[in-house]
Amino acid sequence: MLDRLHRRQLLSRIAIPAAALAAVALLAVVAEPLAAQGYTPREYGDFPIIGSRAAIWIAAQLHLFFAAFVLGVPMFAVVAEAIGMFTKEERYDKLAKEFTRLLLVSYSATAIWGAVLVFLLITLYPALWGYLAEIFAPSMWVYVGIFFFESFTLYLYYYGWNHWKTGRAKWGHWALGILLNIWGTAVMLIANSWLTYMMSPPAEVTPDTAPSMVRFWSAFANATWMPINVHRLIANVVFGGAIVGAYAAFRFLNAKTDEERAHYDWMGYIGNFIAISALIILPFAGYYLGREIYEFNQQMGTTMMGGFMSWLWVVQAFLIGVLFLAGNYYLWVGMGRIPGAERFTPYTKYMLVVLLIGVAVWATPRNMIASRDEITAMGGQFHPFLGVLGVMSAKNTAVNIMILTTFLSFLLYRRANKKPVVSWAKRGTTVQGALFVIAAGVVLFYGVYGYFVPAIVRIGFSVYQVLAVIATIVGVIGIDMFMMRGAESHGEIRWGQMPARSQYALFILAVTFTWLMGLMGFARSGIRQHWHVFEVFRDTSVDAATPALGYASIVISVCVLIFLAMVAFIFWVGGLAEEPIISNVGSSSKPAPATSGD
Amino acid sequence: MTNVKILGIVFGTLAIYTWIANAIPQLESVVPIEVSFGADVTPAELVAAGQELYSGGAGCTTCHGLETRAPNLLSDFAGEGTIGQRCGTRVESQDCKAYLHESLINPMAYVVEGGFDPMVFQARVFSGSQIWALVAFLQDQGGAVTVSGADVAAAAEADAASPQGGPAVASLDPLDIMRGNLCLGCHLLDGEGAQTGPPFDGIGSRIDEARIRRSIVDPGAEVAEGYEDQAGAMPPTLADLLTARQLEIVVEFLAGRR
Repeated sequence: MLDRLHRRQLLSRIAIPAAALAAVALLAVVAEPLAAQGYTPREYGDFPIIGSRAAIWIAAQLHLFFAAFVLGVPMFAVVAEAIGMFTKEERYDKLAKEFTRLLLVSYSATAIWGAVLVFLLITLYPALWGYLAEIFAPSMWVYVGIFFFESFTLYLYYYGWNHWKTGRAKWGHWALGILLNIWGTAVMLIANSWLTYMMSPPAEVTPDTAPSMVRFWSAFANATWMPINVHRLIANVVFGGAIVGAYAAFRFLNAKTDEERAHYDWMGYIGNFIAISALIILPFAGYYLGREIYEFNQQMGTTMMGGFMSWLWVVQAFLIGVLFLAGNYYLWVGMGRIPGAERFTPYTKYMLVVLLIGVAVWATPRNMIASRDEITAMGGQFHPFLGVLGVMSAKNTAVNIMILTTFLSFLLYRRANKKPVVSWAKRGTTVQGALFVIAAGVVLFYGVYGYFVPAIVRIGFSVYQVLAVIATIVGVIGIDMFMMRGAESHGEIRWGQMPARSQYALFILAVTFTWLMGLMGFARSGIRQHWHVFEVFRDTSVDAATPALGYASIVISVCVLIFLAMVAFIFWVGGLAEEPIISNVGSSSKPAPATSGD
Repeated sequence: MTNVKILGIVFGTLAIYTWIANAIPQLESVVPIEVSFGADVTPAELVAAGQELYSGGAGCTTCHGLETRAPNLLSDFAGEGTIGQRCGTRVESQDCKAYLHESLINPMAYVVEGGFDPMVFQARVFSGSQIWALVAFLQDQGGAVTVSGADVAAAAEADAASPQGGPAVASLDPLDIMRGNLCLGCHLLDGEGAQTGPPFDGIGSRIDEARIRRSIVDPGAEVAEGYEDQAGAMPPTLADLLTARQLEIVVEFLAGRR
């Protein structure tokens, strides 16, 4: 027996080095002829029919759509669970669980598209992949590790929901939700470093710098990394809210019972509330990102805003206009199911006018490439009247007024069925109104004053405008929370009694958010122009030129269609496995708690 | 029926966005090409290469596309027609080809009157073949292309004999360096030059020495306040045409203009 063991040990001692030697010898045999033939790895591969660019574009965009969803949803799932824990209202806990169920089935799709993206990078852009891998290898290993932990935390979070439902165990479960968010955010931060490096490599990196000589941290924490992190973090919440809203709308429209209809009406409201709330602060993050791009390279900023992409911002303004209008429309229609809301209904038409004017100003172009005929028709490079509205002063003013108006819509919705009983209610409302007027005054004042000062001073004004709006939002909410304590109710919200057209608005929101994400992805990636890594690693492929918006829009629409189709399928499959989680939020037949908008 | 309506909303929304994006002017970001031709080059090849350079890497449209800084070369100007039609009559002793070539090699020679900015084309950073390709493209705008393979071959020989690079002027006098590199084509100094870019008068009190140097070496990195509309107009190749000593002389001179 011992002999046999010794023989085995001896054999393994000999066999392993022998196998290693054989492998080296085999490599030498294979490698020698390859080297002798002058073999060098190819720089680009070909993808049939649609080409390499479209293939990698679609894979990256779809991976991003799913990734944004699975990063955004845990944020408000964990918040909803916390609300449920603190308020003891079980409907929030059930809502959080249903969010997480959507998440669970979306995870595999995210991973699959991530794998597709990596394989396409390896096979179609091997040189670029090799370059990036050499710089970012350690972060790629960490990324995979965190993704592993994230997945298993999610399994624990979801499948342990009923098991850890009460007492200390519930706190432990909630902590798992927080941990899930930490893993998810860490994964996003790592992936963001790779793509932002391509946009804004450190100044010391030149075309002659070997990837092995690039300092890791300098490449990782590059100029646009943090702005993208902030922008994506907020945008993921917006996106997650919009998709959840669309899911709820689909369920609402196909509901068989009043309870089901009431639940999904409420869920749709929460999704829309989250999406629009985060959307309100998204322009500030976008402004921060744009400023950092200009700081990194003025020419890149000019290409983005005034070069071949100048028309893109007109389309973006149109899309954001649709989002603001659809979001507000949903709230206004929703007020129809809140007793007492009729006293606010006359104001909606004025808010609509303000929003439409805001959208029109925001969509007015200033600086764009024009043909000779167009210049002649306009009477100069800038339109004599509309050119004035195209400058940043007017646009900042418009967007801030639109944000204030949307916030007012939310406030009216929130207060629709409430009647404050505190003695200072009238004064409180007057102060709230004054805050709105002051904020609008500050925004308009700096908007007009901006025309009379140099650009560098004008840029600083936008900070005052933003601060005025944020201060108003915080101040008004603060007053409202205290003022509405113990408020009387004009009647229960009739959850479920919502016209179908309001649900179609939720679909428009989801499609528009998704399309807008695709458009902004094109803008962020396109400003590199014919560079894989801006001014460091040149794109020498047949697709080096950045396509026009028309072509980009077709690719974006295809991506959105594939994404929505897959999401619909995934949600359908998810629904087959388990009965819907219906919470008692009240319905037309079953009254709900007297609350709205909280 | 409900699901059909949902599909209609989704497809309809996507169709509208796609239609809008296709209805607006379609602008592509082109890749600047590097031109290298032999004596057997055809006029069509030269014109095609010239067009790419004109619209892209040579930066011609920065001034000639707007019509506010320089005449539009592709459309009628002052009733004399497009550049291919009017180039032969601009200077009495020169035919179209010679006039256009001289205009590119020596940009300040024939600046059109009428309140336009001086021409700041940095011919030295382009090869002889590229210059001839531009000439061929401009001739093709209403005229006959007379640039030949022999012109290109001669230019290639000249390039080989005197490789590109090195300073545009040998002087160490700051004013000579700035005049020789066409700086005053856009910047005003003691009443000399144009006001397309920020004036050199008082520049030392507005920005420090480091930023002056950076603005020359990497003009795209920062744009002077109030001149955002001119971003991208200053050639990024300027530093290639100065020696290190010349660069420091100019920086020191400008920093002293308070």
